[in-house]
Amino acid sequence: MIRNYLKIAWRNLGKNRVFSFINIFGLALGLASFLLISLYVTDELSYDRYNEFADRIYRVDSDIRMGGTDLSLSVTSDPMGETLKKEFPQVEEYVRIYASSGSKLIRHGAEFLQEDRVAHADSTLFKIFTLPVVAGRAEHALDAPNTVVISESAARRYFGDPQAAVGQDLETQDGDGTRYRVTAVFKDIPEQSHTDFDFFFSMDNVQYNWGNFASHNFNTYVLLRDPADAAGFPDKFEVIIEKYLSPLLRQFMNTDLESFRKSGNKIEYSLMPLTDIHLHSNRVSEFRPGGDIQNVYIFSLAALFVLVIACVNFMNLSTARSSGRAREVGIRKTLGSEKSALVGQFLIESILLAALALALAFGLCALALPWFNDISGKSLHLADLLRPGYLLFLLLLPFVVGTLAGLYPAFFLAAFNPIRVLKGHKKTGGAEPRFRSALVVFQFAASMILIIGTLVIYNQLEYIRHAKLGFNKEQVVVVDTGGIAEANREAFKNEVAALSSVSRASFAGYLPVANSSRNSTSFSTDPVSTETNVFNMQIWGTDYDYIPTLGMELLEGRNFSPEYGSDSLAIIINEKAAALMGVDNPVGKKLYSKSPDMEEPEVYTIIGMIRDFNFESLRENVGPLGLRLGRNNWEAAFRVLPGKIEQTLDDIEARYHELAPGMPFQYTFLDESFDQMYRQEQRMGQVALSFAALAILIACLGLFGLVTYVAEQRTKEIGIRKVLGASLGNILALLSRDFLKLVLIAFVIGSPLAWWAMHLWLQDFAYRAPIGIWVFAVTGGAALGIALLTVAFKAFRAALANPVNSLRTE
Amino acid sequence: MLLELNNIFKWVTQGGNRVFLLKHLDLAVEQGDFLSVMGPSGSGKSTLLHVLGMLDDFNEGEYYFQGEPVHGFRDKQRARFQKEHIGFVFQAYHLIDELTVYENIETPLLYQKVSSSERKALVADMLDRFGIVGKKDLFPAQLSGGQQQLVGVARALIGKPRLLLADEPTGNLNSRQSREIMELFQELNAEGTTIIQATHSETNAAYGSRTLHLLDGSWTSTPEP
Repeated sequence: MIRNYLKIAWRNLGKNRVFSFINIFGLALGLASFLLISLYVTDELSYDRYNEFADRIYRVDSDIRMGGTDLSLSVTSDPMGETLKKEFPQVEEYVRIYASSGSKLIRHGAEFLQEDRVAHADSTLFKIFTLPVVAGRAEHALDAPNTVVISESAARRYFGDPQAAVGQDLETQDGDGTRYRVTAVFKDIPEQSHTDFDFFFSMDNVQYNWGNFASHNFNTYVLLRDPADAAGFPDKFEVIIEKYLSPLLRQFMNTDLESFRKSGNKIEYSLMPLTDIHLHSNRVSEFRPGGDIQNVYIFSLAALFVLVIACVNFMNLSTARSSGRAREVGIRKTLGSEKSALVGQFLIESILLAALALALAFGLCALALPWFNDISGKSLHLADLLRPGYLLFLLLLPFVVGTLAGLYPAFFLAAFNPIRVLKGHKKTGGAEPRFRSALVVFQFAASMILIIGTLVIYNQLEYIRHAKLGFNKEQVVVVDTGGIAEANREAFKNEVAALSSVSRASFAGYLPVANSSRNSTSFSTDPVSTETNVFNMQIWGTDYDYIPTLGMELLEGRNFSPEYGSDSLAIIINEKAAALMGVDNPVGKKLYSKSPDMEEPEVYTIIGMIRDFNFESLRENVGPLGLRLGRNNWEAAFRVLPGKIEQTLDDIEARYHELAPGMPFQYTFLDESFDQMYRQEQRMGQVALSFAALAILIACLGLFGLVTYVAEQRTKEIGIRKVLGASLGNILALLSRDFLKLVLIAFVIGSPLAWWAMHLWLQDFAYRAPIGIWVFAVTGGAALGIALLTVAFKAFRAALANPVNSLRTE
Repeated sequence: MLLELNNIFKWVTQGGNRVFLLKHLDLAVEQGDFLSVMGPSGSGKSTLLHVLGMLDDFNEGEYYFQGEPVHGFRDKQRARFQKEHIGFVFQAYHLIDELTVYENIETPLLYQKVSSSERKALVADMLDRFGIVGKKDLFPAQLSGGQQQLVGVARALIGKPRLLLADEPTGNLNSRQSREIMELFQELNAEGTTIIQATHSETNAAYGSRTLHLLDGSWTSTPEP
């Protein structure tokens, strides 16, 4: 029986090539995007799950508010882990990872290689994370100073063989150069990990003022004995704050915990489950930018949308084609087929089609994967689809999709009355065209939502990149001067500044782009700090040329100048800081800062105010910022004259190599670094764009199929109308009108939904571009235009056909 | 008695009025009958065959098939009865275009859940008997009208039905092809198959053992068994 059905299905495919192609290709497009997204989502959800104790590992996060400034940190104080273990038996072990020292230069033969995936850690690393050791010993591996554990691939890179690496020394270029003994080699950490470092150096080599509960700089992980214990930690942290932080408040801020909190300040700690870090945590001092659960949702939703649109296409075309199958249904019924057998037959057909579409979807996936990896920033492989769990899912997919898409047409077809269809009645009940219309409306509404979403995302991206900039990011080259000996950096800067194509030069260790250094300090407006006059402010060490080189705008006062001898304690603040101080013109006012080891606070005089600019992502409001003169010479910024970039880069590189032989020359363009901050949004935009294009393509395929069908159905009517004198335009209007009405209805339904969804999306941004009417006008116009083209293409042929031919066949 | 109709009425409502398709109709058919139903277009011949073939409902009256009350059957029961006992031959042949001759003939057996080996044997017999073995892998579109109707008859007979219903079986055929089909019917009837055919042609009607005339849904003369 099934063979009989499959045969019929197969021969039907061949008979209606256009329909079959539209059906299978449309479904394949939907399935392909579904497969790609499910690869992406699986990858995103798998982060850190390779850890055996994943469900018991938590990171200690800190939330601090002082003087109206909020800080959400992924780090905590250095004694926190040990204290938790000591105070609470629920904590089995803890480890600190310190990655704030940035990249390291490591000797490889005569050269130094820059290694970015470096951190310092405690030996307990191996007790918490699943890090199989392939050579050496994990126990006490990092207890001694100047020890390091490295990944297998790093071991191969530097020593050729993991076994040979143990006991050898790595030479780094920290300051005057330090040697580290390799004590263990671990298996490479999977890419799907937020801790995928290649080198863990001994914690002992971190230069730090240890034991300070008030400084938060260490990513600290605890291993609980039981995951259920996590619920009790809010209280436990309260105990820690009472016991260890209250004394500090009294000592340095002359306040107790109660009044500290009463005045709107806070210090809070919390546990973040390890497996949530990648998608749910976006705090200061993350090791690397994580994913975003919102993106996972949006991607999944978009993929589902496209798949559903493709399924709807399938339903629509199958039902539309039903008249071709009606006679067969009639015959089968007179031959004794029961309705269930017919439903089964048509379901098998649609499952077969879905299976073919799936095969084609694999091909499409293979073609699209490099592109998709590019825009999603992943390295996914088609082979990932063939993992056991996934394979089962794939085998089931044609059945699920085939059944979903085929159920309605199957019941629709199986319900034909044999006598009527055998007599040649083609018309069936009135409900059926209405249902098809509803499907078309759904497809177009979904497509338009995706298009509107895309437009809003792109509009917002453009807005972000140009709004509230406050500095000039174009034509600035930023050179990493870390490889040049400290004493020679000034000379390097001056030599480059002397180039004719360089208009301005400045050291610029702190830059208003992502992944640049940050330094937060608390200031008070009075010599004695109380909980009400303190606020946290970014304080960046700069030099005399920093403001002009970056094109920042001074609103009040003056820039630093060598002419004023006292500028070492001068400070230039931004508008936000002035607002926090409650003054319009802050020039001349004083700011006080006192660190724990100081007797008296340092007194800064405000000499200028600059226009606000964003130094974090535009998702956040501009925070308070202060510039002062200071050491910041690990990076230098050069403003280059337009059109001279390449030559200038060569010149800079030549000078760099003179002063730093064997060191890698590394530079970035400020505008590119700036754009990096919006990589997520750009990816979102690109993905939304692709899905919107796919959705509209599939919807148009469906529309094309429907118009073809309707034109065929109405051939006779068209013929009669032409004989009666209808013009080409009349016929086109006749065939197009109904469909365009559907597109309009779809627009009316889709627009408010899209507006609402994008309105929600925009809430995440501190700076939002309004959703203009033009977005809807463009979308409506485009959808209408595309639909019209699709319809007209087919209607034209129907209208041009010679009426004699169509009438004679009757 | 193979089947019996008692006082059958069938109507449709058009603009508030009942239009009778079958009116006050009685019929008794014995096993082995070859009945020809004649009448002008619209007299209700096809409707009658559809009712007899259990493809269509009627509004009033009783229908007994082998003593079983068809009027009291549920849909499923009717479908089962139909596929076991009744074969159809149509004027327009109604073969499935996507299936070969062999597959078309085989289809009713699939619905009757006949085993694969038995199906092969039955279809082979039928092909042999109708002299179309050489055509078994052709598609309907590759056959002449007469050949298509031969396949149609073969398909109707493959399930060994008690009753063969033929609605203008030769309406689309030329006279030579018509004669062949009618001779085949006569042969089948002689072997014991009960046949009821609707026809416009006196010549064809004459092949039957008796003829009834239908006009506006009623017999023009009282039928005699």
